[in-house]
Formats: sequence, C-alpha cells, structure tokens
Amino acid sequence: METFIIQLLNGLVFSMLLFTMAAGLSLIFGQMDVINLAHGSFYLLGGYIGLTMVRRLNNFWLALVVAPLLVGALGLVLEYFFLRRLYGRHRHLDQVLFTFGLALIAADLIRWYWGAYVESVPPPDLLSGQVPVFAVQFPIYRLSLIGVGVALALFLWLLIERTRIGAIIRAGVADAEMVSALGIDVHKVFAGVFALGVALAALAGVLGSPVLNLYPGLDFEILILTLVVVVVGGLGTLKGAFFGSLLIGMADTFGKAFLPEFTLFLIFAVMAVVLLLRPSGLFGLEGA
Amino acid sequence: MSDKKTVQPTGLSRREFLRAAGIAAGAVAAAPLLSACGPFVGGRATGPVKIGILLPYSDIYAVLGESITAAMEMYFEEVGNEAGGRKIELIKEDTEIKPDVAQQKARKLVEQDEVDLVAGIVSSGVLLALRDYFDANKKLLICANAGANPISRDRKTPYIWRTSFSNWQPNWPTGKWAAENVGKRAFISVPDYAAGENTITAFAHSFVNAGGEVIGVQRTPFPNMGDPAPFMAEIADANPDLVYAFYSGGAAVTFVKAYADFGLAGKIPLLSSGFMVEEDVLPAQGEAALGVRSGLHWALLLDNETNKRFRKAYKERTGREPNVFAVQGYDTARVIVEMLNKVEGDTSNVDKMIEVLPDIQFDSPRGPFKFDAKSQNPSQHIYLREVREVDGELHNVIIEDMGEITDPGDNSKDLQV
Amino acid sequence: MAAIASRLARVRLQFAQRRTWALLLLAVVAVLYPYLVRPYHLSLAIEVLIFAIFAMSLDILLGYTGLVSFGHAAFFGLGAYLVAYTTIGLTNNLAVTLPVVVVGTALAALVAGFFAIRTSGIYFLMVTLAFAQMLFSIAIRWSSVTGGSDGLSGVSRPAIGVGPLSYTFDSRTSFYYLVLAFFLLSWWVLRRIVDSPFGWTLRGIRENEQRMLALGYNTFRYKMAAFVIAGVFAGIAGMLLAQFFRHAAPENLYWTTSGQVMIMLIVGGTGTLTGPILGAAVIRLLPNYLSTYTDRWQTVLGLTFILFVLFAPQGIMGLIQRFRQRGERREHSENRTS
Repeated sequence: METFIIQLLNGLVFSMLLFTMAAGLSLIFGQMDVINLAHGSFYLLGGYIGLTMVRRLNNFWLALVVAPLLVGALGLVLEYFFLRRLYGRHRHLDQVLFTFGLALIAADLIRWYWGAYVESVPPPDLLSGQVPVFAVQFPIYRLSLIGVGVALALFLWLLIERTRIGAIIRAGVADAEMVSALGIDVHKVFAGVFALGVALAALAGVLGSPVLNLYPGLDFEILILTLVVVVVGGLGTLKGAFFGSLLIGMADTFGKAFLPEFTLFLIFAVMAVVLLLRPSGLFGLEGA
Repeated sequence: MSDKKTVQPTGLSRREFLRAAGIAAGAVAAAPLLSACGPFVGGRATGPVKIGILLPYSDIYAVLGESITAAMEMYFEEVGNEAGGRKIELIKEDTEIKPDVAQQKARKLVEQDEVDLVAGIVSSGVLLALRDYFDANKKLLICANAGANPISRDRKTPYIWRTSFSNWQPNWPTGKWAAENVGKRAFISVPDYAAGENTITAFAHSFVNAGGEVIGVQRTPFPNMGDPAPFMAEIADANPDLVYAFYSGGAAVTFVKAYADFGLAGKIPLLSSGFMVEEDVLPAQGEAALGVRSGLHWALLLDNETNKRFRKAYKERTGREPNVFAVQGYDTARVIVEMLNKVEGDTSNVDKMIEVLPDIQFDSPRGPFKFDAKSQNPSQHIYLREVREVDGELHNVIIEDMGEITDPGDNSKDLQV
Repeated sequence: MAAIASRLARVRLQFAQRRTWALLLLAVVAVLYPYLVRPYHLSLAIEVLIFAIFAMSLDILLGYTGLVSFGHAAFFGLGAYLVAYTTIGLTNNLAVTLPVVVVGTALAALVAGFFAIRTSGIYFLMVTLAFAQMLFSIAIRWSSVTGGSDGLSGVSRPAIGVGPLSYTFDSRTSFYYLVLAFFLLSWWVLRRIVDSPFGWTLRGIRENEQRMLALGYNTFRYKMAAFVIAGVFAGIAGMLLAQFFRHAAPENLYWTTSGQVMIMLIVGGTGTLTGPILGAAVIRLLPNYLSTYTDRWQTVLGLTFILFVLFAPQGIMGLIQRFRQRGERREHSENRTS
C-alpha cells in the first residue's frame, strides 16, 4: 500500500512535468493547427540556456524567466519569417518538413555550442533536500513540480478562458476572417500564440533539467512523449493536455513499477486504446 | 498536393514502362560522378596506409566518438603519423547510431576510399550489423568500443579484433568482489537490451557462485529510460544489501542522480559496471556519484607512467580529462601502428596482418595490453574503483586490482536470472 | 492559326520523342549500371531502389489517399524480420520467403488498419506511430526470436529455383538486378493501381471523403485496401534491405525510419510515383555525401529542408513541373513570334 501511494506520488510528479512540456505543444497544435516537430528542440534549447544561466549567475529563478523570454523571442522571429507562410491544413506536410528541418539544425547547433556531454542542473537551494514519505526520502524539488504544474494549468486556463486576449485567440481559431473584420490583426495573435507556446517549451526545459538532465537526443524523446500526451488528451483543449498528461504520466509510472519490461509498449498501447474508443482523444472536438 | 496529371485509363504504355526504368537509372546516376574510376583494390603495399574510422559524431554517443578520435589522432601524431615505413591517413565517417547508416559508410570506406583497414564502432548493434560484411569481404576491423559478447564467442570472425572489452569482462569479477565485500542480497538494474543482459548474466554468475543471491532484476526501457522515479521506489521497496547497475550516457546521469535524490545513496551501496561513473558522465553526476563502486579496465588515477603521460597529453589537447573510451582509442591506434610495423607496412595480405595481432604487447594507460587469441579481445586487469573526492574533484580511486580477466570465449561463465 | 496549331503539335511530339529517347537511355544505363560504376555506387543504387519501393508504398497512403502514416516503418521492419527469421531458420528461397513476407505484412496491415482507419488526420498519424513503436518494443524485448537490440544477423542472400536449377543472388551485381526487378515490378503494379478506378476512388477520398460516402462508396474498405497494399510493398522493401545488409535491426521499425520515409515523400513530391523515387535518392545520398565533407551536415540538411518548404512546396516534382511549364511557355511564345 505504501509503495502504491509513493508510486502515485511519482506518477503525479511526472504527469505535471509532462503537462509543463505538453502545454506549449498543445497551444500551438490545438489553437493554431500547426504541427511543430521542433517542440522538443525548444525544450532542449530552454534547458541549455537555463544551464548557462545557472552556471554563470548561479540563479535558477532568473533562468526560469530568461530562458522562456529568449526562446519566445526566437519563436517570434521564426513565425514572422517562415511559419506565417505555412498556415492552413493543406500545408501540414510543409509544416512537418519545416519544423523537422528546424529540429535538425537546432540539435546540431546545440551540440556544437554546448557540447555532447550530459549536463545536469542542480535544483535551487530552496528546493533541494528531501522529505520523508513513508520509508522513502522524497525529493522536495519533485514535489514542488506538482504545484508548478497545477499553477501553470490555472494560469493558462484563466488566460484563454477569462481574458480578452484569450477570447481573441479562441475566436481567431474558430473564424480568422471574422476576427480580422473586427479590426484585430490575426497575424499578431498567431505570432503571440506561437511565441507563448515555444516559451512554455523553454520553461519546461528549465524545470525538467534537474530531473531529466540535458543531452543530445533528449529533444526527440520529449517530442514523441508530448505528441502522445497532446493527442491522447485531444487537440484544441487545455483540459485535454492536462488530463492526457495525467493519464500518460500515471501509465508510465505504474507501467515502470509493475511491468517495467513493457513500459515503452504500454504508453503507446494506452494511446491506441484511447484513440480507438474516442477517435479524437479524451477531450478533442469531434471532427477536429 | 493534388494530382494535376491526366492519366490514360488504358493499360500501360511502353513509354511509361521505360519511364520507370529511366527513373531507376536517373535516381542513381548521380552517384558515380563523384568519384574517379578505377579497379577495386583490397589493400596496398605502397603509398599512405588509409585507415577508415567508423564512429558516431552525432546523437547520444557523440562524446564517445569524439573521445576515441581525439586519442587516436594523439597517438598517431606521437609516432609522426607513420608506421611500417608508410604515412598514416585517417578517413572519418559518422555512423550515427543507425545500423543501416553504418552499413553504407562501411561500404564507402572499404570500396570507394579503399582503406586498408577500419577501426571504431561504438554500439553493439552496429558492430553485429557490420559483422557479416567484414567477414565476407575479409576486411580487418579493429573494434574500439562495442562490447557485444557474441563477437568474442559464437559470432567470432577472424577479421574483427577488439581493443576494448567484452561486456562480460568488467562485470564478472565485480560480482565475486561484491559478494565477498559488500553483501549477499543483490538487486540488479539495467537497461532492457543486449548489453544490459550481458551485464546481468556475467555479474550473477560469479556473485551466486560466491554465495550471493539475486533478489530482483529491474529491466528499464531502452533506448530511453524517461523518469527514473518509479525504479527508485521499487529499489527502496526491495531493500537489498546492494544494487548492481549498468547505465551509460544520459541514463547513467539520470539514474545516479535519482539514486541520490531519493536518499538511497547513503542507505544501499550502489555498484556498477564502470561505464556508469566514467569520466565522461562524472562531472554531471557530481556528488551524487560519491561512493559508487565499479569495475573497469582503467581508471583516471591508475598509477603507471604511460597513464600519467597519456592523461597530461590528452588534457592539454582537448581541455578535458580523458575517459576510458579515449584510452581505447589510444590503444586502438597503438595496436594499428604496432601491427603495421610488424608487417613492415604491407597491408596487401589481410591474413598476415591478423597473424601478428596476438604477438602485440605494450604498456597501455590501462597497464599491460595484450590480446587473448581465442576471444580476439584484450586479456586485461579489471580494477575495482570507488568515486571519491580527490583534490577537490570527483574521480574513481582504485581500491583493488581484481586481476587479469579473459573472456571465456563461450557462455560457460554466464548465469541466466 | 492552323499553321501555329500544327507546329505546336509537332513540338509536343518532338518533346515526347525526346523524352522517350532520354528514358530509353536511362533504361540502358540502369541495366548496364553494374558495369559502369564501382561496387560502392552499386550498393548505393541498391539502397536507393529499395527505399524507393518503400517510399512509393507510403505514397499510396499519404499522397493518393490522404492518410498520413507516421508508422510505416512497422511494415518495413516486419518484412525485414520475417525474411531474416525465415532465412535463418528455414530457407533463403524466395519461393518461401516472399510469400511469408507478403502474407505476414498483409495480415499485420489488416490488423493495424482495422484500428487505425477509424481515426483520421493527426490521430491516424499517431495511431500508426503507436503501432510501429509497439512492434519496436516487441523487437527489443522478445530477444529469443528477434535477437533483441542486436537484431538478427547472418541473413543470407535470396535464392530461386530448386536443386541443380537453383540460383542464389550472392554477388552484388546479381542482387542489384533482383532489386531492380522488384523495383520495376512494384512500380508497374502501383502504377496500375493508382491509374485504375480504384486509384481514382482513393484520390476522391483524399479530396473529399464525405462526398465519396454520399456517393455510396464504402470508404473504409477502400482505405483498408490502400493500407494493406502500402504495407505489403513496404514489407517487400524491408525484405530486400535485410537481404542486402544480411541483417534485420530494430531500427528498421523505429519512428526515425518512419520519419525518414515521410521526409522522402515530402522532398520528392507526394501524389506521384516519381516523386518518392527522387526523394528516396536525395534522402539516402545527400546526408551521406554531406557528412563526408562537413561535420555540420545536420545543419546543412535542415537548411535544405527549409529551402524546399519555401521554394519548392511541391517537392522536386513540383520544381520539375514548374520548369517544364516554363519551357513549354517559352516554346509556345517562340512559335508565336517566328
């Protein structure tokens, strides 16, 4: 029983970490209908920028702010010069090729600048150490990720559902022409959403680095994982990303605990089953 | 994306058939333009000796490829890039970690560049994928890392010799040592792939024979371990006398750090195959690795003249401490030079080159280097090391020399658990 | 006016004749290829042809039916493992191994398709990915059959015939001809398929599935058939690769392989059979050359993809079509002025 509760806690931690990773992808994917295969690259870039900040200035908190800002700015540039030409369902394959090309370049340049060695980022002093949970010494940093995930979910929910900007985003997705007729620059809205999405990926990179570390290849690992989460949850809804994270996080943790040999198999099996029962994911809109 | 072409609904015209054949040719016609024509030559006796290097320079094993290359080039420079009266020329190719890419690159080196021999290979999957090619083409391959046991055993070929280790080697003596010095109830954690399995069976054989008992085995997802937390909970739950693990690269850092994060490091001794706490990952692991004990055929602080010289030169050259992969690269280059000297630069006869390999002996950074002719793999000392703080830095300190270990050449000293 | 029209017709005819001659020349080159180049380039040609079959098979799904599969490596890898297992355990005779591969991949495609085709769009993409990744983890896990992460090595080259009349495609040249034959056969069969009423129904589904449903087509069956056809040809390509490399590797099933073949299609141009062939050549050869000349080959490759997206959105085929149209326009205007 004790082990079960500890694994439940582990599952919760990993779910929330997944949510921070997947939120940005969900936003770009769901709100803009853009397939972003460079999502893991933005995650990794954010993590490495965080690493440099922590090394140079020894300030994890500053890294949490600066890395998303820098990567978000990069997102704006990429949106303005490239992605803007690639909107629309019929350009999906072009988006795939473009963002995959981007991911290749990012992986190469990151390795060139930061090297191929595995790097780790220590958690901030405030959150290092452990608290006893039954017989296990549970790391405080991991526990705090639960709070971060919930806070992020609340923030995004409020932003999209309760603010004017959110209303514009939602309207822009539903009917871009209508929104422009109202005198709102849809391009700016989309650029903003994309920047926010990649900034969230960078934030996740900083948050995740004390747990999963940083190394070449992590970008595609994260990409596949977040794709699964977002699709299981269903495109277009924040709720989907949140509950998709919970489901996959729990499946991964309990899979590793009880069927470690089949963990890889399990995540994809869960996804397949969900999509068979609900072809548009848990909370996806029908026909989306 | 729409198909604008109009197509005749009637059958297939000759023209269309020709088109297919034409495209077939067109798609490949670009290839030959890039090389001069000439007969395929196996190996020569004059001109520079061409050595093909097959290593990963991108993806997760890039560090290994870079380390091996740097040390190889360092040794070749030490001998003036010359051996057996001939200049040495290296041709490097990136295998990534994809067997099919490695196949393509191996063919390029052997058939287009006409190299005299090939060296490198980091991952076992790539080594086994290439095995038949080198065997069928009677081309010499000096393996500088990949430790797949079968290459010294049932998949042995005269044309593949290893300067590194077999996966069995570092684990087997460590099993006995653990049972005699640490505890009798072991829990094993390895990635779920061939090298992990080689680790388990080698460790378990000597551990159980020395009176130990394997109380649990944990096979974690390969190639990506993901979140290690559930495995830590399982280890805490099993509460063994010791944990024996094998991870490398990113997974090694993730595992060792999580082991410390969950407070297991002070409670349950962690032992491992030496790669888990080698110099390439130790800086990232930091204090989390303190006290981890491991078996390996080398350690940075190994006390011999060659090693001291090697360490100094490598650090000057690359700005980093060497790791075991660099040592293997260094020895690979040395083996090649010694071999070329013995055949007096004549690489035209592969059998002659193979013949002299068992006679090669020298002082390596890891101590005396020599091949075991049966397993075509080094017969070498395995050192039991512990991560300690030395002059403000974390390094592996040698606790005990567990003696010279030779791969049995078959599966007689493995135990399935 | 009439004179211009007849001249135009003549120009078109000349153009067609020129093309016929060019194609005939290419065909001759294809047949004589082993004697024109060195063995390494022959091996590259074999690889390109094998991946061309693989890419064409995906195009049936992606280009013609509009089903974007991100798990096509499942059938490629399955073909490789089936032939490896059969060859090592039983025989290398194509009369046995080919049916095993065809039936095996067809069955697998039936099962996977039955589930995957209920979904669409990005969900279909992910279900197919899931299927391939599940096969990958089985390949890693079930090592007594699959060789685990090391894969299955020791696969001998295929043979045909029996007893004294048997022939093994041992030499690279003979294997090249076998692959060329498989390539031409695959191309011919797929060409027949996409030009048949069935093929046009697939295009109809791609353009507007609702309309096809309303017209009374059972689109599920059509998509299913396309899925199985694509799976079988991918399996044949996988079989040839395993026979060529004498090895089946788990990477053959991995998502990177699925991604690679998808990139081949996009670079070459979807919705044609020629596009995938050109894409296969570019994607198999370009990184190979790049990595020999620069350490930063991934950056160059990535930049190439981005340039394609910006300047050749229909892939190489789109480029060719644009040049041809320009050429025809110029000939047209030259005719006018003369």
